[in-house]
Amino acid sequence: MNRLKGIFLLASSAVLIAGAALAADDTVKIGWVGPLSPPGGYSAGKEMKWATQLAVEEENKAGGILGKQIEVVYEDTKGTPDQGTAAMEKLVNSDKVAAVVGEFHSSVALAEIAVAHKYGIPWIGTDVWADSITAKQYPEVFRVSPANSLIYSIVGNWVVESGFKNVAIMQEATDYGVGAVAVLKGILDQKGIKSNVITVQMSQQDFTPELLRLMNVNPRPDLLMMIIAGEAVYPIIKQACEQGFAPSKDTAIYSGGGPSLEKELWETTGDCAKYLISEDVALPTAQWNDVAKSFSANFQKQFDRPPTGTAMESYDDMKIVAQAIRDAGSTDPKAIIQALEKIKYKGTRGDYGFSTESSPAWAFHQFMKAPIMLIQYDQVKQSPDQAPILYPRDWATSKDIVMKPEK
Amino acid sequence: MASYLLLQAANGVVVGLIYALAAAGLTLIFSVLKVVNFGHGTLYMLGGYAAFYAIRLLGLPPALAVVAAMIALFLFGIAFERLFLTPLYTDKVERKDEYAIIVTFGLFMLLENAAIVVFGPFNRSAPSFVRGAVHLGVLAITYDRLIAAGAAIVLLVLLSLFMTRTMIGRVLDAVSQSREAAAIVGIDARRYYAVAFGIGAALAGGAGALIGPIFTLTPTMGDLPSVKAFIIIVLGGMGSVPGSIIGGVLIGVVEAIGVAIYPDADRALAYSSAFSALLLVFMLLVRPTGLFGRRHMRME
Amino acid sequence: MGSDTRVKGAAIAVAGMAALLLPLGANDYLLHITIISIYYAVLASSWALLAGYAGQFSFAHMAFAALGGYTSALLVTQTGLPIPAGMVAGFLLSGVAGALIGFLCLPLGGPYLALFTLAFAVIFQLILIAEYQFTRGSLGLEVPALFGGRAGAAYYYFALGLLVACLLAMNLLVRSRLGLFLRAIREDQEAAEACGVGTAGCRIIVFTLTSAIAGLAGAFYGHYVGILTPNLVTIPEMGLVVAMAVLGGIESLTGAVIGAIVIYVASEELRQVGQLRFLLLGAAIILTQRFAQNGLIAPFVFRAAQAARQRPKAAEGAARSV
Repeated sequence: MNRLKGIFLLASSAVLIAGAALAADDTVKIGWVGPLSPPGGYSAGKEMKWATQLAVEEENKAGGILGKQIEVVYEDTKGTPDQGTAAMEKLVNSDKVAAVVGEFHSSVALAEIAVAHKYGIPWIGTDVWADSITAKQYPEVFRVSPANSLIYSIVGNWVVESGFKNVAIMQEATDYGVGAVAVLKGILDQKGIKSNVITVQMSQQDFTPELLRLMNVNPRPDLLMMIIAGEAVYPIIKQACEQGFAPSKDTAIYSGGGPSLEKELWETTGDCAKYLISEDVALPTAQWNDVAKSFSANFQKQFDRPPTGTAMESYDDMKIVAQAIRDAGSTDPKAIIQALEKIKYKGTRGDYGFSTESSPAWAFHQFMKAPIMLIQYDQVKQSPDQAPILYPRDWATSKDIVMKPEK
Repeated sequence: MASYLLLQAANGVVVGLIYALAAAGLTLIFSVLKVVNFGHGTLYMLGGYAAFYAIRLLGLPPALAVVAAMIALFLFGIAFERLFLTPLYTDKVERKDEYAIIVTFGLFMLLENAAIVVFGPFNRSAPSFVRGAVHLGVLAITYDRLIAAGAAIVLLVLLSLFMTRTMIGRVLDAVSQSREAAAIVGIDARRYYAVAFGIGAALAGGAGALIGPIFTLTPTMGDLPSVKAFIIIVLGGMGSVPGSIIGGVLIGVVEAIGVAIYPDADRALAYSSAFSALLLVFMLLVRPTGLFGRRHMRME
Repeated sequence: MGSDTRVKGAAIAVAGMAALLLPLGANDYLLHITIISIYYAVLASSWALLAGYAGQFSFAHMAFAALGGYTSALLVTQTGLPIPAGMVAGFLLSGVAGALIGFLCLPLGGPYLALFTLAFAVIFQLILIAEYQFTRGSLGLEVPALFGGRAGAAYYYFALGLLVACLLAMNLLVRSRLGLFLRAIREDQEAAEACGVGTAGCRIIVFTLTSAIAGLAGAFYGHYVGILTPNLVTIPEMGLVVAMAVLGGIESLTGAVIGAIVIYVASEELRQVGQLRFLLLGAAIILTQRFAQNGLIAPFVFRAAQAARQRPKAAEGAARSV
């Protein structure tokens, strides 16, 4: 009986070793991580993957890097940290990628960078906001999206300037959610604005009890904020709207974290997302450079929807890695890391460069000029690039700092 | 405060009735086949998707789509029972309890993942039955929820009548009491097992189809309701349809009130769900037959 | 008789050599999936003992694994306990919890037991998620590594040792009188009681042992992978372990071990097809139960063992006829 076990182990090892040995040597392999199925934010993940594909197509058509074509290995991390670890182990040890890009969930990213750091492979985060990701100051880790401290200080200032007095916050208990709420509450508490925080589960379907609970707070909140990066956002918006809670003339509604930029928003919430406020990580269309305009046109043509800020981050991320490998002249991880530290790249979201400051801690290898703005939908089925911009005021296209429905 | 609790309870009742419908199917399957169907949640989910595609591909109005979904699930249930559960009543299988648990669990894995592959993991919203809502104070109950709850009540009442007034229903009832005794009066139980499983599946599918417009459709939408269904059938008593109704309403209300009054907002929801599960544990220890169930009959 | 033992000894030696030499030829990724498949093998075989051999269908197995994992991780990070001590603590606490559940389950059987343990697992997962300020819930708990840096080979040998130790312990139980009693309980508990078997004690013991082993596996997993989340306790995870035991042969510990390794390695190879692999697993479970209730691998194991026993008899027969 042990004989069988032994033979089997031998056989399977042989098969796997052979498989690994046969790995092709004539492409540059880059790993991609992100959520493509629940409980992760798969709408955003799908869009990120599309943008990466577009970037790779362009690069390969132009000759690839170092004379070789780019091959991307896509791993679905499902929004769960252990999947992130498993994906990284496979990408680094089995696929032998030169670098890894992607990810949408901060908690998963933290698991992934531990593996990246163990093996010294560069990892460039696409849309992950927890400060701790860059605050750990691993030399391998870079980030093209803004950090919670960057984003939520802006959002917090908007809340203050808009005159809200009583905020209800629904958070997800993840590194993104908890970190963001911490920054936000810091600002709100400082200015004496009341806040009520409720944690939601990602797998819930009926949020009516929590919404009723928030509506029962006296006085009723005048702003409902959702700090949730998963699909749970859509049912909350729909149910808050059915309850007549928000958006209404008394209560505004804000959703952070990405799902509110996706087309799926309108499919699942119908008219309820009109007057939804969200942040966007892209530049206002008025400020788009030629890279942004051509990317947007191509994306719209191929995928039948305008790219969101998340898609732009994803496109830029892949292009930056390609550029860094070119600058480094090799796929040696250390060389790529050095090239990334010095890189200057003109992307869809502006001119990229990574900071090497270590104070504040999260500034290390962070794209400090990452744009962040607040938009509000004023028409049904509107796309984020058409929505009026509320904040910062010098970018604003809306006269009011916040628009309220008539009833 | 009292009106706030009443509002929470009202919402809980509505949601609970829909869970009760799913649970009724489960309890019927248990009482007749003596099988706890661990795949019940996926039947519920399939019903939701069946209705969605009936509307989208066949152009049926939402109400008919629910009926179509129930018919589809009825046929599926019969097929599954014939193909995979028949060994339960021959003597070829040694460990019947284990067989049933594993096979229905395998059904769960198969259907849920098939749904992810075939339908995609994305949220979908089924079209409303009727738009708009009724207002009870500050609580707005959408017409969809009311219709779903109402339909659930109607279906449950019809089920009760079926079990007590029609020939087949009474045969099923007899078989659920004792297969041997039924055989003595000339009933070949095997012919009716498929029907029972089919009806149980149809009820689950109907619940899923009714839920479609209310919550979003996803392949994993049946996971939570299936746990609730287990709790309900133990609470109400395995084999008792009135027990399922009461159990469902009880669970819905308990969870809603739990979220309302649990002091720590952070933990309110998690512990309200945990409380229902705790109720299951408690019932199993104290009174496994539940509020209205019969003494447990082992598989013969 | 003598040659039978020699054949067996040779077989064990060959398998042992293959297993011991594996790290020399394997890359990091291969080692990684082998180690994870050993983790599942420990879980599958202990669950096979509980559910298949003793007939106690528990869906709480992963909850005990998580309990062991979180206990060890939290003790080590909060109190500075050395990791081996943490793992022992996880082992013990899971054992105690298993004893408790086994005790509570005494009046229950069949699907009621399954439902009870399912509810327990659900409650435990909810607590892990709700108390995230302590357990870090869905954020994931960072767990200190058992061996620092890239010590794949060290983890592999540790896991192998763990598997062998657990299998030895479980085999001892199976071959003892307790094993006989458990089988009697599984077939007909009332008859067993009538014959004087202390069913309560037997059931509690088997729950304690298998839960403790699950806890140890969970603790090892935590200190190897470096991160723990409540996803350990989900129904799909439990389903995976059930599939491994069922396909391997629910009454055979070795079958479950082989089933675990085969299924885990296959599912990793099939990553490209994504969810399809779980679909196939579900179908495989249904078909196996329907047509091969004793599992797919166990029959080979039994036949091989029988063949090994027949050979010396054939030789004797041949010698006699000469």
